[in-house]
Amino acid sequence: MIAEKSSKTIDVQINKDVLVVGAGKAGLTAAAQIAAQGYKAVVIGNKTACACGAGCSKEMQDAGLVEIQDGTSLVDIAGVAGDFRVTLGKGEETCEVTFGAVVVAPQYTGVPLNSAYGLALNDKVISQTQLEALLADDAGKEKLVNGSGSTVAFLSGFGQEGDPTATGRVLASALEIQKLENCRSYIYAGNVKVGAKGMERLFTQGRNEGVVCFKPKTMPTIEQDKENVKIVITDPVVRADVELEPDYVVVEEGVVVGPDNLGIAQTLGIDADVDGFLPSNNVHRFPVKSNREGIYVAQNDVDAANVALQVKALIGDGVRTLTEDIAVVDDTKCVICLTCYRCCPHGAIFWQDGAAVISPAACQGCGICASECPMDAIQLGEFTDADLKSGVKEAVASAADATPSIVAFCCKNSALEAGEAAAQFGHEMPAGFRMVKVPCAGKVDVDFIMNALVEGADGVMVAACHEGNCKAERGNIYAGWRVEEIRQRLENMGLNKDRVVFTTIASNMAREFACKVNEFAEKL
Amino acid sequence: MIVAERKPFDEIKDMVSSYKKVLTVGCGTCVAVCLAGGSKEVETLNAELNLAFGKDGVEFGAETLERQCDMEFLDELESKAGEYDAFLSMACGAGIQFLAQRFPDKPVLPAVNTSFIGVNLDVGWYEEKCRACGNCVLDMTGGICPVTMCAKGLFNGPCGGTNQGSCEIDPDQPCAWFQIYERLAAQGRLDQIIKLSPPNDWSNQKPRKVIQPGYEARVKALG
Ligand code: SF4
Ligand code: SF4
Ligand code: SF4
Repeated sequence: MIAEKSSKTIDVQINKDVLVVGAGKAGLTAAAQIAAQGYKAVVIGNKTACACGAGCSKEMQDAGLVEIQDGTSLVDIAGVAGDFRVTLGKGEETCEVTFGAVVVAPQYTGVPLNSAYGLALNDKVISQTQLEALLADDAGKEKLVNGSGSTVAFLSGFGQEGDPTATGRVLASALEIQKLENCRSYIYAGNVKVGAKGMERLFTQGRNEGVVCFKPKTMPTIEQDKENVKIVITDPVVRADVELEPDYVVVEEGVVVGPDNLGIAQTLGIDADVDGFLPSNNVHRFPVKSNREGIYVAQNDVDAANVALQVKALIGDGVRTLTEDIAVVDDTKCVICLTCYRCCPHGAIFWQDGAAVISPAACQGCGICASECPMDAIQLGEFTDADLKSGVKEAVASAADATPSIVAFCCKNSALEAGEAAAQFGHEMPAGFRMVKVPCAGKVDVDFIMNALVEGADGVMVAACHEGNCKAERGNIYAGWRVEEIRQRLENMGLNKDRVVFTTIASNMAREFACKVNEFAEKL
Repeated sequence: MIVAERKPFDEIKDMVSSYKKVLTVGCGTCVAVCLAGGSKEVETLNAELNLAFGKDGVEFGAETLERQCDMEFLDELESKAGEYDAFLSMACGAGIQFLAQRFPDKPVLPAVNTSFIGVNLDVGWYEEKCRACGNCVLDMTGGICPVTMCAKGLFNGPCGGTNQGSCEIDPDQPCAWFQIYERLAAQGRLDQIIKLSPPNDWSNQKPRKVIQPGYEARVKALG
């Protein structure tokens, strides 16, 4: 019989306005798309693109659906998804406004990667941005044509791993140059990515117009003297060197995250990825979602459209039905130590009236907070401490006859699925192996593990998602720390620390999981 | 808050090994906040002890009080005390002593070492800030405690050992009086550093008591 889990639900009012931080092309496009869904979008930041060009029509602006506050900045944010209380500032003045969702449209700056090609920038060796500036007006174009026409070479994807946006810029510029009188474009492409909408079309169009594209395996040999640049590649088909002395060389740009963006991320409490880009990567999340519910990131037009869909899913008609007891703080136990607030990877906790409070709108149910709380004041509706403890007890009891008996705390996002698949595929597993389902490895308390040993388990395994793959960002890291702490404690007690192990696994790695379990059993 | 650290396991194990039934008593105030003696630590310690003693060894109970430095909360143990041979307290030294005072017949054992009065730098990370000297001079020292932060606890400094911002005991140890100078200079209050602090009276030290203003009559009435 399956026990009925009765979850109480509540209806929560969601503010229908959306704040867009960043008034560049992506931000304004996001605002237009959000307004098209019927929500009001307020755009702040320094306006660097044309609003109408990005789709913010005059009607939208007149109707107040899009409001552009040029030069206003983000000062602070409190609250959670559906009810963000944002402090905005302009000059000395600040004001507090409530928004249901926040969209960040980061504005990155480009640095030319000329040194990666051994080139010095000058009149002839220019960056992609400089070229685009020339192409922007007639005077620039005239300079490029330089009377009799010129040859332009693009270097891309050797100085860094390319990305579709950078490739798109090169293809668009190359095509435009090719169309200028007597001008020719050559593209030297290394590791470029073309997987984006419209890219194939741009490429074919360029080819038809006569843009020449080389894709050598290694970086071309490039020589620069005072006057000229010479680019040499070896063509594998004709088996001969192909030499070019272009009039202009355009070098690709690396993208750097300005301190502004990191500041905004910090203010909003969202994570950046290792390179500083927003948001942090997480395979369990849509790419435009940040680690905080209700805060999205739009880098470009495609993102802008996806962000609008996410915003619609969040706000809907302004009322959301939420599960009330995903994670709840018992305010009689809470000593407001702030540990949970500091540990929650989703910014779902705040404090009010002398106790921590978890927002059902923002909580993702990982349980990291509950395992860290020094007063056991937090319980997850679906995974109470009492349930988990009796689950451990049952697991040990049912494996009592087998040697070794192993209790594996398995994250439901990875190890649990891997373990179930292993059983289905008939991979051999030790007879005494029992899985205890947890919402995230971050919800494995130190005392759960100790108690499994007290109950008589020979070994305990904590199985989490791979590094960088945790749905809760850091649940696997916390789990790893806790296991290490316990191993240390066992050692201090003169016991074999290898009775407790930590491992990472993906949901599709049934065989590997079985191997790991068998290896562990072997050692025990 | 008061910051404490759990004692090494072996020391605790030795302390309790001669009893049959021990109540581990957590405290839900400072030591809970500094992750040393709240109910989670009580559970964890008991699990460790159970593992060490086995099912037939010493038996452990668990209770976490609001505070062990208040009699009313200690009274909550009255009904249970009879069942146990000893208390293992996870409170700070003050709580442990008050518990021992409340149940004078019972052996009361400390499970934590009380470390200092400090602040929370991050989860599980604390730094000492005050030595409770009883004569606070923070007004004159730019809000930086010379007793705690200066290796010599000088009330008037710096001494000759100050070395480009570092203390002479260790180049990684900032000189408190250098920091005090910097802070006061930034606030335009350097005149404060010229003032001499009279020596603190460390003689004939007795346990200190604090009666908050307005409570004197109440305390007196209690006798
Ligand atoms: S960790 Fe526990 S005791 Fe600390 S603030 Fe959160 S709920 Fe309260
Ligand atoms: S369960 Fe996870 S997401 Fe929810 S409040 Fe706790 S730490 Fe945050
Ligand atoms: S001077 Fe330092 S030790 Fe003395 S009371 Fe003030 S902060 Fe505490």
